[in-house]
Parts: sequence; structure tokens; C-alpha cells
Amino acid sequence: MDDFEPTIIAFVCNWCTYTAADLAGTSRLAYPKNVRLIRVMCTGMVDPQHVIKAFLEGADGVLVSGCHPGDCHYINGNYKARRRIKLLKEILPQFGFDEKRLRLTWIGASDGIQFAEIMRELVMQVKALGPSEARLKMVI
Amino acid sequence: MGTQNSELRIHNSQFQKGFTMNKKVGKALVVGAGISGIRSALDLAEFGYGVTLIDRDLHLGGVLSQLDYQFPTDRCGMCKMLPLTDRDASSQYCLRKGLFHENIDIRLGTELIDVDGEPGRFEVLLKEKPRWVDAERCIGCGDCVPVCPVEIPDAFNADMGTRKAIFRPVPHAIPNPYAIDFAACTRCGECEKVCPTDAIHVSDQKRQEFNILITDDELVVRDSLKEWLEDEGFTVEMAASGPEALEMLAQKTYHLLLTDIKMPGMDGVELLKHAKEKQPDLYVVMMTAYATVETAVEAMKIGALDYLMKPFDPDVLIPKVLKIYEDVEISQGQRLEVGAIVFSGGVSYYDPTGTKDPFGYDLYPDVVTSLEFERLFSGVGPTQGRLLRPSTGQPVGKVAWIQCVGSRDLQTDADFCSNICCMYAIKEARVAKEKYGNELETAIFYMDMRTFGKSYQRYRDQAETEHGVTFIKGRVHSVTADDKTGLMLLRYVNYDGALFESHWDMVVLAVGQRPAAGAEKIAETLGIELNPWGFCKTRPFSMSQTVDADDTARQGIVVSGAFSGLKDISETVIQASSASVCASRVIHASGGSLAPEIVEQAEIKDVSSELPRILIAICTCGSALTAYISPPEWQAGLKSDPAVMDIELLDQTCTAMGWDALIESVRKHAPNRVLIGACQPYIYARKLRELGEQVGLAPALIDVVDIRSPVFTASEGDESEKDMSHNKISAEIARILTMGVVRLKSVEPSPTPYLPVEQRALIVGGGIAGMTAALAIADHGFATDLIEKKADLGGNLRWLTTTIEGDDLQALYETTFQQVTKHPLIQVYAHTEVVAAYGQVGHFVTTIENRDGEVDTLEHGVAILATGGEEAVTDAYNHGADPKIVTQKELEIGLHDHTIDTARLETVVMIQCVGSREEPRNYCSRICCVTALKHALDLKTLNPEIMVYILYRDMMSYGFNETYFTQAREAGVIFIAYTKDQKPEVALGDETDAKVQVTTFESLLGQNVQIDADLLVLATGVTPDLPPALADAFGAIRDQDGFFQEAESKWRPVDAIKEGVFACGLVHSPRNVTEAIATAEAASQRALRILAAATLPAGKVVAIVRHSLCSLCELCIEACPYGARTLDIDLEKVEVNPVMCQGCGSCASVCPNSASVVEGFEMPQMFGVIDAALVN
Repeated sequence: MDDFEPTIIAFVCNWCTYTAADLAGTSRLAYPKNVRLIRVMCTGMVDPQHVIKAFLEGADGVLVSGCHPGDCHYINGNYKARRRIKLLKEILPQFGFDEKRLRLTWIGASDGIQFAEIMRELVMQVKALGPSEARLKMVI
Repeated sequence: MGTQNSELRIHNSQFQKGFTMNKKVGKALVVGAGISGIRSALDLAEFGYGVTLIDRDLHLGGVLSQLDYQFPTDRCGMCKMLPLTDRDASSQYCLRKGLFHENIDIRLGTELIDVDGEPGRFEVLLKEKPRWVDAERCIGCGDCVPVCPVEIPDAFNADMGTRKAIFRPVPHAIPNPYAIDFAACTRCGECEKVCPTDAIHVSDQKRQEFNILITDDELVVRDSLKEWLEDEGFTVEMAASGPEALEMLAQKTYHLLLTDIKMPGMDGVELLKHAKEKQPDLYVVMMTAYATVETAVEAMKIGALDYLMKPFDPDVLIPKVLKIYEDVEISQGQRLEVGAIVFSGGVSYYDPTGTKDPFGYDLYPDVVTSLEFERLFSGVGPTQGRLLRPSTGQPVGKVAWIQCVGSRDLQTDADFCSNICCMYAIKEARVAKEKYGNELETAIFYMDMRTFGKSYQRYRDQAETEHGVTFIKGRVHSVTADDKTGLMLLRYVNYDGALFESHWDMVVLAVGQRPAAGAEKIAETLGIELNPWGFCKTRPFSMSQTVDADDTARQGIVVSGAFSGLKDISETVIQASSASVCASRVIHASGGSLAPEIVEQAEIKDVSSELPRILIAICTCGSALTAYISPPEWQAGLKSDPAVMDIELLDQTCTAMGWDALIESVRKHAPNRVLIGACQPYIYARKLRELGEQVGLAPALIDVVDIRSPVFTASEGDESEKDMSHNKISAEIARILTMGVVRLKSVEPSPTPYLPVEQRALIVGGGIAGMTAALAIADHGFATDLIEKKADLGGNLRWLTTTIEGDDLQALYETTFQQVTKHPLIQVYAHTEVVAAYGQVGHFVTTIENRDGEVDTLEHGVAILATGGEEAVTDAYNHGADPKIVTQKELEIGLHDHTIDTARLETVVMIQCVGSREEPRNYCSRICCVTALKHALDLKTLNPEIMVYILYRDMMSYGFNETYFTQAREAGVIFIAYTKDQKPEVALGDETDAKVQVTTFESLLGQNVQIDADLLVLATGVTPDLPPALADAFGAIRDQDGFFQEAESKWRPVDAIKEGVFACGLVHSPRNVTEAIATAEAASQRALRILAAATLPAGKVVAIVRHSLCSLCELCIEACPYGARTLDIDLEKVEVNPVMCQGCGSCASVCPNSASVVEGFEMPQMFGVIDAALVN
């Protein structure tokens, strides 16, 4: 499994984490290409169905990342996301997915370095978990 | 909210042919693009004016670009300043990175040189500094950086760390072209050689175009001059005699002639005459030896500009030529006609280097300024955000802040408080504690902790109780290095008079504000006066209106931001809007024929019944991407989706030429959707809208995706990334484009809804704030209803007499009252209260009732709450039990109507913070300390023999008020500090005329002292008057102290969360009259941007409801943070106000039936995008 390269779907909010990713990009900070960014306006718009869909389609990990608490451009969307991710983490094992495959982080617009670090860390974590069940089943 | 719902008359007018946008006429110039300049520019742009925003720096944001953290959220939040209505007029993106608004023309590296004309019709001269790097061509690859041999301190990181002479002004701006620091550049030309897009021209083109002719009969003079001047980049030619020079002048245009006077044949003076005949614009400088100075002076009378003495000193000669060159250049600067000028000059920060008491700064690397600390703590700073000791690079375990460095210090000419340092020090300590927790010890050494802003006191208390920041009241007298440990040794005296020592890893100097460098010069250009501290002088009761040398109003030139006097961000944002409204008034009054006129919009095609036909336009970025995207099989992969009609490869769509090619290509293919693959999607916001108009496509049908970053990160990353093969990059680009295609093809091209606006304002409360707001709105031509519950207008202005500056408040009342009551567009309803209100931005319906029970209904588009506040009622310290115990208000009235006999007073004691700054009223009322100082000084003026004692916790004599604190001490007023835990005690004597006995602990004496007072004055603070029913009627929220809750204390300081509702004056927060007027002007500016046009367009991304799927569960109504959703009971429908909706999608994710969706993020689109993202 050494050469296992996980695929991670990251739902990132337009205002903070996407901006941080952009900053990481323009600052030439390397971060693993395993992470596929999907820009949403706010983490509060990430529907649990999006997360489950990503897992069912074979994502090895899913990241939801937005503005720091108290800093949401839309006042409180990130709090809504936080509640939702907590619930999802309860539900995921019932679908056969390790809840550690789902992560919620806050990465502010100026945290380009932190973005790159968290992406590296996330890839390591998901690598350690191995390929997702859904992916294995698809291979079979 | 009432149960009724306002009828949402949403127009789908974009399909109407030839729809016209109402653009306001008029133009403004905003000088300075810091936070205040941005706020002012956005205000004026949102109102519809064309704005030119200039800054001499090469980046936006001023000092804010260096600050990653701002209280109270301890994060950034600048983006919350972006327009909420008609928001697609600006980019929907991080505002720290860039600002793009259709009405704002931003010119960086540009200075204001000259102002001419009159208010409403100024002619300004702007000069852009040469950049040496063509911003249009620079793709930001950074190849030029490693080859640059120069290394200088990095100014962006407060001179910590180094940068090259070719550099990015800030790391995060978009677009972010490189620039050359010409002062540091050696002109070696290495960067020019490696630039792949030929963007760099170190040899200055413009100087090359400046032709100099040297005429001298001595070859050695000619040669040396030629060499010196050519080194400066000029084109230099030589003539050996007068006739030869004239011949050359006949052939070619020269800008400067340097001629010797004594030459055989034709002498210099004769040459001058003939040369001027040939080229009248020619500048001539005479070169002379001592003997012919008189001749040279004569020559100047007949048209020579200057003379130079032989022998030449290059250090004299070259600056002289450069000055001439610059003057010529400047005269070629750009002229603009503008209606008003907003001067947002900004501030600089006190530099302790080399001062009398630098606290070890510049001597020990571990002593840093607060700005340096901000950079050390920044993720893009010199230590990547890790707090390391500059001396050793070891982690910091203990850090101390020293307050009032360069503030409140007569020795540094700072008889003022800088206002911001207490709060930023607390913030810095808090964010540091948040990051390092118990590993870090933090302490703030202070004289008075000035937490005079709204909610600041609680922020400070939390720092102490929740974050564990230590506050030490005392004065630091020195910082030295401990020889043994290398730690910083801080010696200080506390308020008991005891001397202490402590060791710290790092010491942060909380440096104060100073006027920005060069502000004096611009002020002179603008013809405005400065105050004794070098900040802008403003008219009485205005924070924005400037004065000229005669102390009369300088109409049409307003000041914005901290340059008008020491401000933090939230005050800056408020005052910047106040400046905008003052500027806007002048533009409005002058009729504005300078206009961007009414714009005819192109017809937008209805493509809703067509199958998607997407044209993918890919920018090859100067062929950097060509290899990845050229293979036919790669393109075939993308085309396998039937929605993709064709792929066009274009070069540099970011340039004007590339963009024209793109428009051409779209015209040729006539697609009904366009996907552009390029870099930095956000720089395209305005262009996309224009493209849509040009080719008749709705903006929602055009999208840009970033395909450049994958190539960057792959080629520049670490080792593991470098092996990312060609194919992987190709695949990555294809995946990004496919995700874009999937999203775009299922966009339902619904028209942009418009909301009609009732262009009328309602203002509740007729104090100075309400009256000011009413005048500001009515002066722009909109009808305004002003509701006052009392019999008369005026509020607290009825009893106030003068300000501490001595300005007459009764005169202010009289003038404003007359203006309001005589204004044809203002309708005053006295003795009237609001009974009920319903509706939303653009259309509110309010029922009012007067004391006779007469009821009326008013329709309006915006509401401003200006219901004011009062002095808090107290029974503390026996108030009410003895006529000798009064409040500050009672004292003011008593002094005015002489019911308090000052002749009989011997001792007056004032107690500050009565019931304030502790729960339940844990806020500073801001005005009480200054009021106490005012009354203390008044009493001392009446009779210097009166003993005045002020018992205080922290003297909040913020800003320039500090000078009155100094005056009061000089006048002999005695200040005794007390603490929350050890308050003064008051006892009444047994006899009726006995003195009031005030006992308080005096820390220097270490014991209680008793003062027998003839008069005890209590400062009880301010309580707001915002009845819950009134707040509810307009959907406003009261904060825990009953004040109006702003949508965002820093970035939207006078807005309610619910759009269309604003607040100003005392109901907003405690403040003095001038500050209340500023909030009123700000609130009216915010209201005017809504009233400006008859319709308001919604954004591109808004939520809609699919009524057939909706079960009316109302979860979405609950979830909407903007109150944009309402249930229409009659129609049984959930309605979305498209202007209030900001497209956050909270509603969509709570909807159990997928009935509530956000355009562009609907479930099939999101699923499609997820699928595409997972393709390997």
C-alpha cells in the first residue's frame, strides 16, 4: 500500500479557505495534489448529501474547511457546518466509513502556510487509513 | 416582524430590450487606498458615482495589509465591507487581496500633484510613478527574484527579513505583479534577461525619451556631462558650438538644453534666444564660470530656467537635471475632472529609534514594535507565524507589552492618546495566548487601559479572565539586557510607588500613531489646514469637513480615516462613510455633469430553451501551458461532453489584446455558455460582466476557472511534487475544466431579479443624530420622515452647552433645527411614536401614532434608528439623598442656569465609572471622563481656588482629549485612581449643610484619605433608549446592554444584520456630539446607496425556492442569517428577497426536500462536480 495515493475531496469556502489555497498557490507553497478543491460560497451550504456522495463515489477522505468561528462572511454558516459535520461523523460508520476520513478545519484567508500544512497532514492521515471501502469495492 | 408580508415586486426586467441602468452622475477622487479610502470609494461607487482611487504605494489596504488579526473576532473580516446590494458590481472575494468594482478605477503608485478649480468641478493632476515592470505582462513567475543581486530589509515585514530590489509589494495581492524598488536597484539588467514575458525594462524607457542637448566648446566638459547623464538613463547629444546646436534643434525635439555661456562665435545667451524661437517649450540651463554669473542671471530673465556653476559637481548637477525631468514628467501627468476629493492620508507609526527613551529598541533585537510583532505573528511573515526570539531564534516563553510608547508623552511631542494601542496590545496578547496557551506568559504594562469603545471593556476582561493575560498598572522606566541570561530586564514602578524588576524573552513596544509621511505636502496641495499635532484640522462638529488657512470650510475636499485624528478600524470605517456623504453632497449639489452617463444595456439573449453549447477558452499563459493542453486526444476528452461545442486556445487573456481575441472568438462561435480557463479568476469579475453585455449572455452563463496554479505548484514545489509528471498536470487541468463544464452546463439561465425601491427614508429619533441623518438624505433629493416622540427636536442637545473644545452646542442645535424644519423634503412628526412596522429593504410600511391618537402609515425604503440614550440613573453614593450629590448632567445644567452656586464651592469631588465598566453595565461610556475634565477645567477657570478631585479607574481621555487631561493636571486638578474592588465611600454629615465625606484609598500614601466635598459629582455613563418593540418592528437586535447591535462591529458598524436598517447616535454606542454626527452621516450614506436607484439588482448567486417541492416547514426561514426569507401566508409560499439574500446557501442545506436551492450550487450540479473531481 506504499504507493497508495488517496483522493481527497475538499469543500472549501469562498472567503477563507479557498483564498488560503489561492495564497498557497501564488506563494508557490507545495501541497499534495491528492486534494481536489470544490469551492462553495460557505461551509454552511455543504449538504450532508455532498459529503456522502463524495464517499460513495470513492473519495478516500473528505475535508470541509471554512472561516474561523466568529469570522464567517455570512455571519454563522461555519457554526452550522460544525454541527452538521459532528452529526455526519456519527452517521458515517453506519455507511461503513471510518469517521476519521471526514475532517472539518478552519483556515483563514491569510493562512496560506497553514493550508499547505493541513493538506499534507490530511493526506498522511488518510494514507494511514488506507483506501476507502467504497473504492475497493469499485475495484472489485 | 408583523405577520403580513410585503409584496415582493420582483421585476425580470433584464430581458427587456434596451434596459437602462440609472447611473448617478458625478465623479470623485479618493486619495489613499487604506481602509478608509476603500470604504469611502466603495460608498461613493455604490451610490453610483465614478471613483478614482489612488495610492502612492503599490498595494491596497494601507497598514491593514500588514495586519492578519483584528479584534474582536481576532481574525480578518474586511470582506464584510463589500457591497451587499448589487454585489456583483464588485468582486466577491477576499478584500485584502483585491478590490474590483465597476465604478472604481484604482491607480496604484500614483500621487496627487495639483488641484485646481472649485468644489463640484476640481481639476486634479495625477502622476503615476514608473514601475519598470509591465503589470499587464508580468505573470508573477518569480524567475527574476533569484537573479537579483540586491538584498535589502523587507519593509512589508517591518524591516525584518530581507527582500530583493525586484519584489512583490505585498505577498497576497491580486493581481500581484512584481515591482522594482528603483532606489535599491543597481540596473544590472539580470532580471530583464530572465523574464519570460519581456515584462521588465530596467532601462527606463521614459528617461530614454527625454532628450538632452549639451552645447559647449570644450570637449572634456561635453564628454563628462554626457557620461553622467547617460548613466541616469537620459538620451544625450552634444554640439560644439551655437550654430551646430541650432542645426540639431531644427532636426529633432529636445527637452533640455545645457549650454555654456562663453563660446566663440555665437555665445550661450544668443543660442538661448534662437533656441527658444525654434522650440518654445525647451528648457534651457546655462552653464557658467564664476565670471559670467551675472550674464547667467540676465539669461534667466529671457527664458533660461536655471544656471549651473562650473566646475560641475555631479551631486549638484544630477539632482537639478532630475528635478527638471520630473517637472516635465509631472506636467505630462494625467488631468481629471472630479466633483469632490476625499483625502484619506492615513497615519504612520512612532519610531522609537534614536529617541530619548527608546526602551532598548534598535539596541536589543528582542525589543520590537507592535507592528513588528504583527509581522512576526503573520503566516507570511519572516518566521511564518512562529513566535521566535529575534536574537536567538528560540521560542518565546514570556512577552511583555509596554503601552504609550510615543503617545501621552510630552517629551515626544505627543500630548495625545493614540487610541488604538491598548486594544491592539490586548488583541496581540490574546491571539498569542490562543496559539501558545500556557507555554506563553503575557503581560501588559499600562498607565490607563483605554477600553473606551463599544464592547471593548468586556474584550479586555476576557483577556484577563479567560486568556490569562496579565495587566500591570505602572510605568516602565527602562529595558536593558540581563548580561547573564540575555533576557530583557524590565524595571517598572507600580502605582504604589514600588520598584520592580522582571525578565522577558521579548518586549513589544505599543507604538502610537503619527501623521503619515508627506501628508503635510498633500495638505498644502489641497489647501487644507492641519492641527497642532500634524493631523487634519476639521470643522467644529465634523470629523470630515476640512478648513482652509482662514479657518473657513474647504468645500468639496473632505478628510477620511485616521488622518482626521487617531482612530481604530471601526471608527475609521464610520468616519470614512461620513466623509463619503460630505463629498457626495458637494457632487450632488453641483449637478454633476462630469458624469458616466446613463448606460444602455445590451439585450440579453434568452437561452433557457436551448441545449447548452459551451465554448471553452483556454489561456495558454505565454505558452507556459501549451504543452499540456495541445494534444488532440486531451482536447477530445473534454469535447466528449456533448455540451462542449469547441475549445479555443488563446494567449494572455489577461491583456487587452488577449481579451479582444476572446471576445472575437465568442462572437465567432456564438455559444450560449463560456468557460474560461485562466489564472486568478477574480480579476475577471468586471470583464465578465462586460463580455456578457457585449455578446448578449447573462453573467451567470460565463465562468472562469483557475488552471494555472497546478502548473505553478508542480514546477516549484518540493521534491515529492516535482515528479508530478506532465500527464498528471494535463489530467489536473482537464479535471478542473470538466468540473467547470459540469457546473456551467446545468446553470439555469434565469434572469437577474430586480427589486423596486421606495425612495424615501424614515428616521426614528430627532436628536442631533436623527436630524443630521435626515438632512444628509434630504440634501440628496430624497424625502425623509423624521419621527420624534417628544414635543421638540434636539434630544440631549437641548441641555448641553459647550464641548470641551469650547464649541457652542446651542448654536449647533439652533442651526440644525432651522435647517431641518425648513427643509422641503423633511417631514417632522413630533409627539409621535412608531406603533408597528413590517417589510424589507426597499419597501417598509410603518404605522405611527401621535399623542392625539392619530394614526398614519408611511412607506419607505430604509429605516434609521436614532432614538438616542440618556444619562444612566443611579442611586449609588447616596445620589438623590442630598442636593450636594449630583450627576455630571445635573452639574452641566446647574452651571449653565446657575442653580449651582460656584462661588460657594471650595471642594468638588468627581467619581468616575459609577455603575459603569462592571457587570451588568460592563462598558465604558466614553464621554464621562472628558465631561469631568471639561467641568473640572470650567470650575478652575471660574475660581482657581476650588479644589477639584477626580476619582477614576482609567482616565479615558482618548485622542486629542489627552491635552485637556494635561491641562487639568496643570490647573491643579487632583486625580486619584481607585479600583473596581476598592471603591470610594461616601458618607453624609448629620447636619443639613454638612459636607459630603468621600473616602478613597490613595495608593501612593498606602492609606485611605477623606475629602470633605461641597459638591460630589457622579459620572454615571450612558444608557441607550431602544425599546425592544421598536427594535423588533424593524428586525434590529439589541445587544446585551440594550444598544443597537451592529451587523459587524468593525466592517459594517452602522448596519443592522437586516439590510435596510441602520442606527446612529447614542443608541448605537456612547459617543460625543461630533462622533454621533459622524455615525449619523455614515448611516445616511449606507441608506443612500439603497435609495440611489429606483430598482436594486440581486446578485448572481442567490437562493430560490422551488415551490412545488416546498412543504412550508420554514426551516429555511430560521436558517437564513439575513432574514431574507418570509412566509407569505396568503400565497402559501416561502418568498426570498433576492436583494437581501447573499447566496450563502444555509437555506439549501437545511431544506429536507431540496426545494430551496442556490443558483449555481444545485444538487445535480454539485453531484456532477463531485463526480468530475473524482476522475483520476
